[in-house]
Amino acid sequence: MKIAWWKIAGIVLFVYVLIAGIGIPLKPGITDVSPSQLKVGVSKSIQITAYNTHFLTGGKTRVWLKREDNKYLEASEVQVNTENLLQASWSIPVQLINKEFSIVVHNAKDGPFVVPAAVVVLPDSNSASFVTPVNFTDLTETDLKRSDDLRFPYRSILNETIRNTFFHVALWMAMFVLYLIALYHAIQYLRTGKKEHDWWSVSFNRSGILYGILGLLTGSLWARYTWGGWWTNDVKLNMAALAMFIYFGYLLLRSSFNDDEKKARVSAAFNIFAFVALIPLVFVIPRLTDSLHPGNGGNPALGGEDLDHTLRLVFYPSIIALILLGTWMAQLRFRMIRLAARKKIHIEA
Amino acid sequence: MNVGRISAIIAKESKLELRRKNALYGILLFCGVLVFLIYKSFNVLKGLEWNVMLWTTLLFCGINAIAKSFVQDGAESRLYFYTLFDPKEVIVGKLIYNYFFIFLLFLLVYLGFSFFFKTSIRDYGLFFGGAMLGNFGLAVIFTFIASVSSQSEGNQGVLMSVMSLPLTLPVVLLLIKITAVAMRLITDTSVGEDLKMLAGIDLLLTGILLLLFDFLWKD
Repeated sequence: MKIAWWKIAGIVLFVYVLIAGIGIPLKPGITDVSPSQLKVGVSKSIQITAYNTHFLTGGKTRVWLKREDNKYLEASEVQVNTENLLQASWSIPVQLINKEFSIVVHNAKDGPFVVPAAVVVLPDSNSASFVTPVNFTDLTETDLKRSDDLRFPYRSILNETIRNTFFHVALWMAMFVLYLIALYHAIQYLRTGKKEHDWWSVSFNRSGILYGILGLLTGSLWARYTWGGWWTNDVKLNMAALAMFIYFGYLLLRSSFNDDEKKARVSAAFNIFAFVALIPLVFVIPRLTDSLHPGNGGNPALGGEDLDHTLRLVFYPSIIALILLGTWMAQLRFRMIRLAARKKIHIEA
Repeated sequence: MNVGRISAIIAKESKLELRRKNALYGILLFCGVLVFLIYKSFNVLKGLEWNVMLWTTLLFCGINAIAKSFVQDGAESRLYFYTLFDPKEVIVGKLIYNYFFIFLLFLLVYLGFSFFFKTSIRDYGLFFGGAMLGNFGLAVIFTFIASVSSQSEGNQGVLMSVMSLPLTLPVVLLLIKITAVAMRLITDTSVGEDLKMLAGIDLLLTGILLLLFDFLWKD
């Protein structure tokens, strides 16, 4: 038996995506800073709750207030309670009133992490005149040495669901590729009239539809944890649902023919028309309106910091794996249709 | 493509329509009943709801009107046309006829809606200009799907609506937006962009319809 390397590659890549995508931990991040103001006075403290950090075991943990001009003020005292909880205190002189600071935390294991615009300094009636020189320092690379551990980025709100990038986003991209291959075969069918092209076309479309359904489900799950609802009235979601309706219509159309030649011809024509009509649906209309969905209305998508190198390490293999697996599924269906045609058995195709 | 032949097809379609009065009256009655039903269900309808209901009513009337566009030609007459005409002439003729028909339905629904409800259209030029572009898009989609579904065996009515409604959405959304601007329900300085986009969708769909009809016509 001939061994199809691409099927093995598909499995290996997908197993890698599952293991790496779920196994690699997130970078540390700060979930809560309370209170969010510091009053003027001696040893004023704030409590920092963090996620995935090693305050106890990760080496000495240091905390700074960071001013806009990249000057740092180290906490005079850091009291670590648990791995994820610490209290940091500063003496806050009166000249810092109404200044806003970011908080930077660092230890050897976790590397540096930041909460931007975390605290603001307010006056306090008891110690209104507390004046002391502040020694802001510049920090060097060695002070904020990055951790060497392989971690996915921590994003507030997204948290652990950032892993869904490997499934949700990759599923949509793979779906689009499968639809494109099906479109190619539909065009080839109309050009050549070879029924194999029709079989390939419907097989790829069916794989694409499966990915579409899975993409909607994973997206819905993601929406539940980030936006708070299984479905939001968001243009990109609604367009995606409509695209699904159109492809379901394609399957319905195919099921209402007895004559195979006619079925192939008409459904290929519908496939091309639907795909062209889909382009304004998926690409143009969402850009007309505001959307919560990444890639719209100034929301970040696959660019800049949002897809960092560790994510790419799993995301790209995931797309390739899904395309390979989808092709495999399409090939199985193609063979089934071909076998049924040879044996003159009627199957729904 | 020959203009004379295209107009012959348009003339044939209109004659058939006028001879088979029951089909024409059926559609007109359907529109009237639908408008009256909406009037009695809402009693008061204005603003965006008026706008949305207008286009939704037109969608359903248009689907019903154009669905029979290909079904009514029997297999024999289709074969006869095949020997006479180029497929592009047939589709252009049908498309122009369907466009006039759907525009007529639009005028009818519009008159019904302005008769029963108060309208607040400020910019009639924009309203009817947008409507003409949008109706053309709807006519293209309905004509294509009618020709697709007429070839299937059984459940043609369901296929017609299931396949055409999702495809009409971009056109309908743009129409609603443009006419809402014409009614000053929303202010949008980039309405020209929307009109261009609608015209673009119309052109794109017409092009693909002309390309694909050759294959649908072969029987």
